[in-house]
Amino acid sequence: MKNLSLVLATVLVLVGCTKKDNAGSTPGTPSAGATSNAGGKLTNNELKIGITQEFENFNPVIQTMSATSYMQHMVNRPLVTINADGKWIPLLAKKIPTIENGAAKIVDKGGKKKLVAIWEILENANWGDGKPVICEDIIFSLKVASSPNVSVGEKETYTQIEKIEADPKNPKKCTFTYEKAKWDFYQLGTVWLLPSHLEEAVFKKFGALKEGYEKNSLYSKDPTNPGLYNGPYVLTELQLGDHVSFAPNTKFYGEAPKFKRIIVKLIPNSGTLEANLRSGTIDMISSLGLALDQALAFDKKVKGENLGYSVLFEPSATYEHIDLNLDNPILKDIRVRKALNYSINREELVNSLFEGKQNPAIHAVTPKDPWFTDDPTKVVIYKYSPREAERLLEEAGWKMGADGIRTKGEKRLSFTLMTTAGNKTRELVQVYLQNKWKQVGIEVVSRNEPARVFFGETTKKRKFDSMALFAWISSPENNPKSTFTTNNIPTAKNGWSGQNSMGWSNPKVDELLYSMDTVFEHAKRVEIIHKVLKYYTEDVPVLPLYYRSDIAVIPTQLKNFRLTGHQFPETNEVEKWTVE
Amino acid sequence: MNTAQNTTQKAQQKAQIAKMEKAQTITQIVYSQFKEHKAAVIGAYVILIFVVVALSAPLIEKFTGLDAESQNVFNRYRPPMTRVKAGTDVRETSIQRFIDANPEEVLIIQNQLISQQLVKPIRPEDALYDWAQLDRTKAMDAIDLIDTSKKSELRAIANRFESFHILGTDELGRDVMMRLIYGTRVSMGVGILVALASALIGLLVGAVAGFYGGFIDTLLMRVTDALLSLPLMPVLIVVAADDLQKIPFISRILTSGNESILKLVLILCLFSWMSVARLVRGSILSLREREFILASKTLGATDYTLITRHMFPNVIAPMLVSVTLGVGESILFEAALSFLGLGIQPPTPSWGNMLFNAQELIYQAPFLAILPGLLILFVTISFNYLGDGLQDAIDPKAMRR
Amino acid sequence: MLTFILRRIVQTLVVIVILSYVCFGLMTLMPGDPVELMISANPRISAEDVTRLREFYGLDQPLIKRYYTWISDISKGELGYSRTYRIPVTEMMGPALTATFILSITSLLFSLIIAIPLGIVCALKPNSKVDYIANLFSFAGISVPSFWLGIVLIIIFAVNLRWLPAGGYQTTGLAYENIFQELMDKAKYLILPMVSLSVQSIGRFSRFTRSAMLEAMRNDYIRTARAKGLSNRVVIFQHGFRNALIPLITIIAISFSSIFSGALITETLFAYPGVGRLIYSSIIGNDFNVAMVAFVVSVSAVLIMSLVSDILYGVVDPRISYK
Repeated sequence: MKNLSLVLATVLVLVGCTKKDNAGSTPGTPSAGATSNAGGKLTNNELKIGITQEFENFNPVIQTMSATSYMQHMVNRPLVTINADGKWIPLLAKKIPTIENGAAKIVDKGGKKKLVAIWEILENANWGDGKPVICEDIIFSLKVASSPNVSVGEKETYTQIEKIEADPKNPKKCTFTYEKAKWDFYQLGTVWLLPSHLEEAVFKKFGALKEGYEKNSLYSKDPTNPGLYNGPYVLTELQLGDHVSFAPNTKFYGEAPKFKRIIVKLIPNSGTLEANLRSGTIDMISSLGLALDQALAFDKKVKGENLGYSVLFEPSATYEHIDLNLDNPILKDIRVRKALNYSINREELVNSLFEGKQNPAIHAVTPKDPWFTDDPTKVVIYKYSPREAERLLEEAGWKMGADGIRTKGEKRLSFTLMTTAGNKTRELVQVYLQNKWKQVGIEVVSRNEPARVFFGETTKKRKFDSMALFAWISSPENNPKSTFTTNNIPTAKNGWSGQNSMGWSNPKVDELLYSMDTVFEHAKRVEIIHKVLKYYTEDVPVLPLYYRSDIAVIPTQLKNFRLTGHQFPETNEVEKWTVE
Repeated sequence: MNTAQNTTQKAQQKAQIAKMEKAQTITQIVYSQFKEHKAAVIGAYVILIFVVVALSAPLIEKFTGLDAESQNVFNRYRPPMTRVKAGTDVRETSIQRFIDANPEEVLIIQNQLISQQLVKPIRPEDALYDWAQLDRTKAMDAIDLIDTSKKSELRAIANRFESFHILGTDELGRDVMMRLIYGTRVSMGVGILVALASALIGLLVGAVAGFYGGFIDTLLMRVTDALLSLPLMPVLIVVAADDLQKIPFISRILTSGNESILKLVLILCLFSWMSVARLVRGSILSLREREFILASKTLGATDYTLITRHMFPNVIAPMLVSVTLGVGESILFEAALSFLGLGIQPPTPSWGNMLFNAQELIYQAPFLAILPGLLILFVTISFNYLGDGLQDAIDPKAMRR
Repeated sequence: MLTFILRRIVQTLVVIVILSYVCFGLMTLMPGDPVELMISANPRISAEDVTRLREFYGLDQPLIKRYYTWISDISKGELGYSRTYRIPVTEMMGPALTATFILSITSLLFSLIIAIPLGIVCALKPNSKVDYIANLFSFAGISVPSFWLGIVLIIIFAVNLRWLPAGGYQTTGLAYENIFQELMDKAKYLILPMVSLSVQSIGRFSRFTRSAMLEAMRNDYIRTARAKGLSNRVVIFQHGFRNALIPLITIIAISFSSIFSGALITETLFAYPGVGRLIYSSIIGNDFNVAMVAFVVSVSAVLIMSLVSDILYGVVDPRISYK
């Protein structure tokens, strides 16, 4: 026993040390954020950002990872983007063409309605080597993206643009012809450009080989070539799996960036993010970093101990929900679906587990979106009411059994709730919900799978037998066709494409959503989407849970930093970041 | 007479010697040797204590009134030795169940509660619900004042209004102690199951390879070598991510509730029998040439008898050691896989997944990470010492006579 | 001897080929092929995109055919292209292997330097106080969950004491003035992962040395050597330790093989860009080419190392000969 107690003593001493040091350092620490700086105070010389996700080669047409996209916005700019206020703004383009400003018009070509828009690139938009950004770059990107030998995930964005013509007199003026006259044509301006003066030669030489272009692209052969980038920063060092360094692009068209160097460092284990921050390995944690629980705890500590950081929470366009498999015989009964919905206490959920930092969800459109509504006359709102839930279940013939689980004949009222393994917040919510449903007599067992299995197989092929908990990251004003319409129910026939994993089929919704594409007035679109949401909340194909928040930790001296809450990250404004 | 006495004395002495010799059977020698190894004995006791605690988990649950599942989301991450109030939901549900079960008695209780001004509900039907919102002590006092046959049931309900958590609460306000106790069941269960199962597989493969030799031996040993040469961690990740439902035989054993545990056991077994197989093969190879095997062979013993009667007893001892060491290893592996999110799935608690869940919040709730870590450390050390002690005890060269 | 080595090399090659097929099969058993992963990341991928991409990656081919394509590429020296990182596998593996090699080699040397003397001391004075304490620490080292230890080390040395960095493998963006500065900087980052990686092997090696040494010291020739009046030192090192070396070589050879498969957990915790993490992310991201190359490298390392240790036996112990 002596030996064992020795171990115990040793461990306790170590733990004791930890605590004491913690306590000891607090009063002595000056409030001015000295903690972040093992290597000195934060200045405009250098900013080190921590991320937890892997990144890839920077070729913007080929990239798929969100960490790469995060950094891509530092070095490259698309024609248009959504800013932190949720508004569409031009970046490389002089203005967004619209019907009203005359830059876009609907034309009739061979009986088909098409849309022609004129995009003009900013006069002073240059690549990092001083060459101007021209229309030819857009044409070239499209050529690369539509080549069968280049592995581009999704081609729709590109194929919707039928043709681009450069003005022979002004190489910066281009005329786009869109395949169909859709109101959201300008959103296709988020495509990335490739520098044709550098990459065209590579593509000519290797483009005919399978994967030939991507292997030989300068983005993988010579990633620090400044000519590859047109954003506020250029890449100066790329170490896959470890870090990326950036330096200001002197040829940038906009406001000059303030930080002389930015380093993005990969910290793969989110448990050690805080340690890395506090020991000075990184200065801030990006929106691809802390889990909510960690952020809540760190926020308290920051405030309690005056650590010199701010923990930012920004409501985002990410919608956490449970997809119900409508082919499940029990779930076919709408009363059961409603009962499930009524027994979720969303208020308590967000207040207890998220301490109010994330918002309860009522449907698929997030409050970030101009299409959002919480008007009870327009959508059905399910307030927590276990008694109503029990009433509905009784009505549907589910009687309380001796073990506290309802039964109907031989059948038990039992479901399987699946989600991604290792996502702590989801697992927490899952267990919380299990407990809630148990109280009205519904048994829910959890079965979690690694993300790749869950998304690659289970939701994709509708292999969950009753419930799947996950999130959609939508952008503002995005037509939810791919998740709501009958055509998008994944089947073996359509190669499991489409995202309607509920199997929800409502002909009226189909009709409304398909008709929306050609509606150019904003108010009318809002009207349509509100009708769709009404059906959505009446039919309950999905149990809405909460809208997620984006989280970042920044040093208090860092100014002009704004989280966006949608898929165009905060790095879109990286040139404004500064220390005062 | 003298001679007679002498002979009796001699006979007695002989008998005594015989008795002494008889008394020192091999098990006894091993046992006494084992007792000398103090650390191993302590290890054995520690393991015993853990096994007893794990087995009596339901009893502890009954005794303390706590369980590993009930949540209290407004009291998350409480430090050890705290008393917390139960959530409104839990209270209301238990009251509702009580009302459904005793509709008549409830009316009497409601009336008394109101007439004695113990609660002041807006509607009389809410009297019991209002009572449920009281503190535990106040609620208890109220029961004392009213007259009903259901006093003990109400007391039981009131008792659940508050709970005391010796080791604090976790991220959902669940009792950490109960979760650790149930985690002991899972983690040690997995450890022991894997060690036993892989010992059996190893014994079988090793015995067949060693006894028959030739082609079978070469084949089996190459398979063993091949499996040994696979990098364990990546392979475990691949297999853990594999969909075992695709394999028809296994899909029949798997049910949704136990899938993650069974899968883990299967995976760990698949990759831990090789060292036992090598060990067994080695000893059987040397046994095969020994005289007593030859003798029984000439007497016409079948292969089966030869292997099970004569060879197995001789390899049991070294196997026992590798089983004990294997338990510790499997517990550690379960924890490592949990670190990658591929271990046992929640809400089933295991030391590994408790530790994994806590690691992100090691500053905020250090106890949550320290406790399962310490338990893993203790139990694995104990198993290692036990194995060490057994090894010393059965090693003929190390015998201290 | 030569024929023995040749035969073993041929056997090893056959085993490597078979194992690579097994690994290939295991990888395909994982649900969700790369295209499905892409779909899940992007809701706008259409059915046509799916068929196009399947064909593009050759995923519409049967397993054996895909394996054949892969292995014929490999034999031509074409390691392929990483689908996750979108650069050639060779460019990805090179730095990762180097980083892992440095980490594992230093950790192996560090643990041997501590473990062997510790084991010898314990074996010379069995059941003494020193032996007890060393044993306890060895067992604790073997029994501690590695990620737990890693976190504790980070908290103590990086956050509280601030002696060492919490993660990474060099100070990012630092331009080294000379090689000495570079070495010092990298060494600083190496210490914590190395220690956390070594703790377990120190425990293992010292236990192993102890028992091998105990065994060796029990032999008759030790008694003879002592009777001859040889000094204690000579007896211990020339006669005792030399004989204890044989089993030690085996275990060191085996742990050598892990030099290339890396230490996933340690690398993840300390943000160390090694090959263990690379293998992990390639498996999770279904990056066939990277994962398969990594598998083959680490399997070959084990098999080659066991071959080397067999040959070394002959050098250390003249009684063993190969026919």
